[in-house]
Amino acid sequence: MKVVVLGSGPGGYVAALKAAHLGAEVSVIEKDEVGGTCLNWGCIPTKTLIASTEALRNARNLAEYGIESSGSVFPNLAKMMERKGKVVSVQVKGIRGLFKSWGITLREGKGTLVSPRSIEVEKNDGTKEIVEAERIIIATGSRPADIPGLPFDGERILSSDNAVTVREIPKRILVVGAGVIGGEYGCIVNELGAEVTIVEMLSRAVSAEDIEISEYLEKEFRKKKITLMTGVKVARIQTGDDGMHVFLSDGKELMTDKVLVSVGRSLNSEHIGLERLGIGKGEKGEILVDKRMETNVKGIYAVGDVVGGMLLAHKASQEGIVAASNACGTDMTIDYSIVPAAVFTSPEIASVGLREHEAIGKGMSIKTGHFPVRALGRAHAAGEISGFFKIITDARTDKIIGAHIIGPHASDLIHEIAVAMKAGLAAKDVAETIHAHPTFSEGIREAAEDVLGEAIHVPKK
Amino acid sequence: MNPENLRYHKEHTWVKVTGKKATMGITDHAQEALGDIVYIDLPDADTSIEANSELAEIESTKATSSVISPVGGTVIEVNEELSESPEIINEEPYGKGWIAVIEIDDESEVDDLMDASEYEKYLEEESK
Repeated sequence: MKVVVLGSGPGGYVAALKAAHLGAEVSVIEKDEVGGTCLNWGCIPTKTLIASTEALRNARNLAEYGIESSGSVFPNLAKMMERKGKVVSVQVKGIRGLFKSWGITLREGKGTLVSPRSIEVEKNDGTKEIVEAERIIIATGSRPADIPGLPFDGERILSSDNAVTVREIPKRILVVGAGVIGGEYGCIVNELGAEVTIVEMLSRAVSAEDIEISEYLEKEFRKKKITLMTGVKVARIQTGDDGMHVFLSDGKELMTDKVLVSVGRSLNSEHIGLERLGIGKGEKGEILVDKRMETNVKGIYAVGDVVGGMLLAHKASQEGIVAASNACGTDMTIDYSIVPAAVFTSPEIASVGLREHEAIGKGMSIKTGHFPVRALGRAHAAGEISGFFKIITDARTDKIIGAHIIGPHASDLIHEIAVAMKAGLAAKDVAETIHAHPTFSEGIREAAEDVLGEAIHVPKK
Repeated sequence: MNPENLRYHKEHTWVKVTGKKATMGITDHAQEALGDIVYIDLPDADTSIEANSELAEIESTKATSSVISPVGGTVIEVNEELSESPEIINEEPYGKGWIAVIEIDDESEVDDLMDASEYEKYLEEESK
C-alpha cells in the first residue's frame, strides 16, 4: 500500500509511523519542519521556556529551601531561547530518525492534492514533482488566527509563533485572549518580569475548563499581579512614541509595548486542492470526516487540527493512528469520550471528561468531591501548596464522569482518572485503592473519598 | 483576649464601628485556626457587599477560607499592606491586620452582632 501523508505534525508523523508499522510504503510531505506546530512553535518550545521560568522561580526562592547563594539571579532570554532551540532540534532529529528507521520518505516542500491518487509537491527550490498514492492522509494543521485591526507584524503584534522567538523580554505586554496559549504565555513572561495584562472577551479565563478551575486560576493570576480583564475586547490600537495605546470595548485605555494575539487558530484547509477533489468542509473550514477519519472521497483521510474539534496534539495523534490503520486495511474508529487535556499555566491545569456545568446542563444528577493540594504533606515538602483536586461522578452509579486538577503535576496526575474512566470505574474504586505516601496522587484518592463524604484529612464540618 | 470595643460575627470576623464606618478583620480565634496565612484575596475598593457574604478569601498553609462580612455596605478602603505581608493578620488580627473599612448601609445590623463576652461564650459552645 502506498500512503502519502500531507503534513508531519503530531497527527501526520504518527499516521506515517503507524502506516509504516502496518507495512505500507510511506511518504511524508512537509513544507516547514517535521513535528509541526506542536514541536516547533507550540507545546514543546513553551514547555521548555516554562522549565526555564520554573528554574528561575526556584532560584529566587532558594532561601526558602535553606540554600544560600552569593550571586544575583536573572533571566538571560537569549540563552533560554538557545536551550529551547536545542530541545526542539533533538526532538526533530528523533522524528527524522524514526522516519529513516521505518523507511519513510520525507519530501520537503508544499503539497497540493491534484487527484484522489496524486499530490504535487513544490519543493523549496521551486521545482515540482508528482507523488503517486493509493491512500492520502491530510494533516495540514492550523495556524494562529488574527483579529481585524490587529494583524501580526512579528514585532509589536505577535502571534503565538512569534512569541516563542522574541529576542527581548517586553516591559509591558497585553495578551488578547485568556485561553490556553494566552494563559501559558502570560505566566511565562510574568515570571520573566514583564507587566502582564490579559483581556478576554468571555466572562472568565480558560473558559473551556470547569468554572471552579477558572476561578482558582484567576486568583493565582492576582497573586502574580497579572491583570485579567474579562468581558472586554480590544477595539483598536494606536502606536505612538511612548508605546502602544490600546483602546478597549468598555472605553478603557491602557498602554503596552507588545501585544500577543492568542484568540484561537485558523485551520489550514485552503490552497491544498480540496475544492478540486470535492472534499467536503464544514463552516469553520474543517475537513469533514467520518469516525474512520475518512473524507467523502474514498481513500483520502484527514486528521488533526484540520478536522476541527479539540485542537490537541494527542487527539491528532490518535486520529492519525485511526486513519493510518484504516488506510492500511485494519478497521478502527475514533473515540473522543476520554481525552485528557492540560494547560501549562502556573499552577498547571488538567482535565478529563465532563465539567460540572456540562454535566448539569445535560440534566445529570451528579456528586462532586474536592481536596486541596495544601492538605498534602508532599505539597508542603515540595513548597508548592496551591491548587485542588475535583472529581465528578454520576450520582446514580458513582461512576466517574470527569476530573479537574489545578496544581503541581496536574498534567501527569490526570491520567489515573482517565484510565479509571476508560475502565468505567466508580469513585469508590479509586477511594479504595491504596495510594503511595507521600505523593501528590494522594489528592486524587482523597477527592474520590470526598465524593463519598469520606475524605480522611479534612476538618470536621 | 477579644477586645471589648469590637462587635463579633459568628463566622469569626469583627467590626469596629465609628459613625457609619466599620473597620473589620478576622478574630484571633480565626487566625489561630487557620494557621500561617500566606495570601489574602482582597476586594476592590467600591465593591458593595452584603452582610453574611464573602468579602475576601484567605489562604493559609492549611486551608482556604472565606472571610464573611459582618455588615453590609460599600468597601471604602482595603488594607493593601496585607497583599505583600498577609502574615500581619496572624500577628495582629485586631490591629495592623485589619482587612477593610466598610461604609455601613444599615447600622441596625451592628446590633445583631455579638459583644466580646457573647463571642467568648459562642467560642466555648462551638468547641464542645
